[in-house]
Amino acid sequence: MFRRFFRHIKEGFFGVFRHLGMALSSASAVMITLILIGLFLIVTLNLYDMTKTIEDSISISVLIEKGDEDSHETIEEQILKIDGVKSVTYRTPEEEFDYYLETQGSDELRTFYEEYRDDNPFRGNILVEVESGSQMAYVKEEIMKIANVDEVADGGANTYTLLDMLDSIRLFGGILVAALCLLAIYLVYNTIKITIASRADEIWIMRNVGAKNGYVRAPFLVEGIIIGFLGAIIPMILAVVVYYYIYGEMNGSLFGAFYLIEPMPFALYIAGILGLTGIVVGFIGSYVSVCKYLRLKR
Amino acid sequence: MISIRDVSKTYKNGTHALYNINLEIQDREFVYIVGSTGSGKSTLIKILNGEEIPTSGEVMVNGTNVGKLRFGKVPLYRRGIGVVFQDYRLLPRRTVFENVAYALEVVDAKKKDIRVRVREVLKLVDLEDKATSFPDELSGGQQQRVAIARAIANKPKILIADEPTGNLDPKKSDEIIQLLEKINKEEETTILIVTHDTQIVRHHPKRMVMIESGHIVADLNKGAKI
Ligand SMILES: Nc1ncnc2c1ncn2[C@@H]1O[C@H](COP(=O)(O)OP(=O)(O)O)[C@@H](O)[C@H]1O
Ligand SMILES: [Mg+2]
Repeated sequence: MFRRFFRHIKEGFFGVFRHLGMALSSASAVMITLILIGLFLIVTLNLYDMTKTIEDSISISVLIEKGDEDSHETIEEQILKIDGVKSVTYRTPEEEFDYYLETQGSDELRTFYEEYRDDNPFRGNILVEVESGSQMAYVKEEIMKIANVDEVADGGANTYTLLDMLDSIRLFGGILVAALCLLAIYLVYNTIKITIASRADEIWIMRNVGAKNGYVRAPFLVEGIIIGFLGAIIPMILAVVVYYYIYGEMNGSLFGAFYLIEPMPFALYIAGILGLTGIVVGFIGSYVSVCKYLRLKR
Repeated sequence: MISIRDVSKTYKNGTHALYNINLEIQDREFVYIVGSTGSGKSTLIKILNGEEIPTSGEVMVNGTNVGKLRFGKVPLYRRGIGVVFQDYRLLPRRTVFENVAYALEVVDAKKKDIRVRVREVLKLVDLEDKATSFPDELSGGQQQRVAIARAIANKPKILIADEPTGNLDPKKSDEIIQLLEKINKEEETTILIVTHDTQIVRHHPKRMVMIESGHIVADLNKGAKI
C-alpha cells in the first residue's frame, strides 16, 4: 500500500523530469495566473475591508430636530415612499451617543464623554439606505422637503463610486482570474497529454494485466499536482514578502484614512489559497487529460 | 466458460466487423480462431477483453456479461484474462524479471508472492536463466515467452493470443504453441489462439473456429481436448 503510494509519487516526479521543458512552461503559466490571483485577492479583500469601516457613511443620515423625536415614525413612512429608498433604520439620540462612544479609540476618551450623557448633544437619526449611488442626490432632495427634518447628511456619492468600482474590479478581476485558470488548466492538460502519449505502451500493459483505473491515473495526477505546486511556490513567497513590504512602506494605511489588513495572518492565508489553487489547477488539468485518454479506450 | 450469442459489431465509422457470431468455449479448451486479415478475429478478441462493446448480442465470460461491464469494472474483469500479441509489448527498460513482476505489482501483490510467482512462471516458459536480461538482449521467441509469462502471472482462467507467432520462424512458432499447450495442461488455462498460420494448426491440431468476413464459417473438432 505504502510502497504503491511512493511508487506513484516517484513516477509523478519522473514524469515532470522526463518533459521538464513542458512541465516548466505550464508551471510558469500557473505561476502567472497565481500572481494575478494573489494581487486580485489582496486588492479586493483590502477594499472590502475598507468599505466595512465606512459602511455607515454610505447611507443618508436624516437628523431629526431636537424635541421632535416622536415624529420619527411618520418621517420614516414618508421617506419609504420616495423612489429608490431601500430601507430605513432609526437610532434614538441615546443610541447615537452609545454608537459614538463605541467608535472612540481609547477608554479615557470614553469615560470623558460619558459625563455628557445627560446633556446628550446627539439628535435622532434615521439611516436611509439607497438602492444605488445615482439616486442619492434625488432622495436627499426629497427628504429635505419633509417637515421636522433638521439636517440631511450623506457619506457622499464618492462612497458609492468606490462601491461601484469595487464591484467592477470584482467582476473583471473574477473574469480575468477564471480565464487565466482555464488557460493554466489547459496547459497542464496538454503537458499531461504528452506524458501519457510517451507512456502509452506502459498504460496499455497496465490495463491489459488488470490495473485499476485509479492506479493508471495516479502517477499522472501526481505529475499534474507537482506542476501546479511548482507554479505556486513563487506566487506564495511573493504574496507574503510583497504584502509585508507594502504594509510596512505605507505604515499600514492607505492615504492615512483607510487601514490595510494586518499582514499576519492575512498574507499567510493568501499564500495558502494560492498554493491550494495551484494544486487544484494541476489536479484538474491532469485529471481531465488522463480520464479523457482512458475513456477513449476501455 | 465463454458464451457468445448473436454478437454483431459495427465500428463507429460504419465498418461491419462481425455478424451474428455464436460460439461456446468450455473451460480448459484449446481453440484456434483462424481467418484471413480483416475477417474480424481481433475484433472478437477485443470484445472478449472488454476493450470493445458488441453492437448487439451477448457475451458471457465466466458469468460476467462483458458487453454490460461498467467502465470501472473492466480492470477486475481483465485480471481473469491474459493477453499476448504479435509484437510482445514488453517494457524495454525493465529486465525480464521486472517485466513479469510488473503484472503482479499493478494488482498490488505482496513483494514475496511476486518473487515466488515470477520464478514459477519464468520456469514454466523456460527463461529462468534470462531473468536479469533486458528484452532487446532476447530473441523474438524468447521475448514472446516473456510476454506469455507476464500474461499468465496473475493466473488468468483464459489466455488469449492474437497472432502470437506472427513475427516468428516456423521452429520458434512451434515452440510457442508447445508452450501454450503446456500452460493449457499445467495451469488449466483456457487457450484461444488467433492466427492465420495454417502450419501451426496442422502441426498441433485442436478445435478450430474459422471466421471469414465477420461470419463463422466452420467450427471443427468441437469439444476435443488435446
Ligand atoms: N477500431 C476500428 N475502427 C474501425 N474499423 C475497424 C477497427 N478495428 C478494426 N476495424 C475493421 O474491422 C474489420 C475487422 O478487423 P479485425 O477484427 O482487426 O480483423 P483481423 O484481426 O481478423 O485482421 C476490418 O475491416 C478492419 O478494418
Ligand atoms: Mg488482427
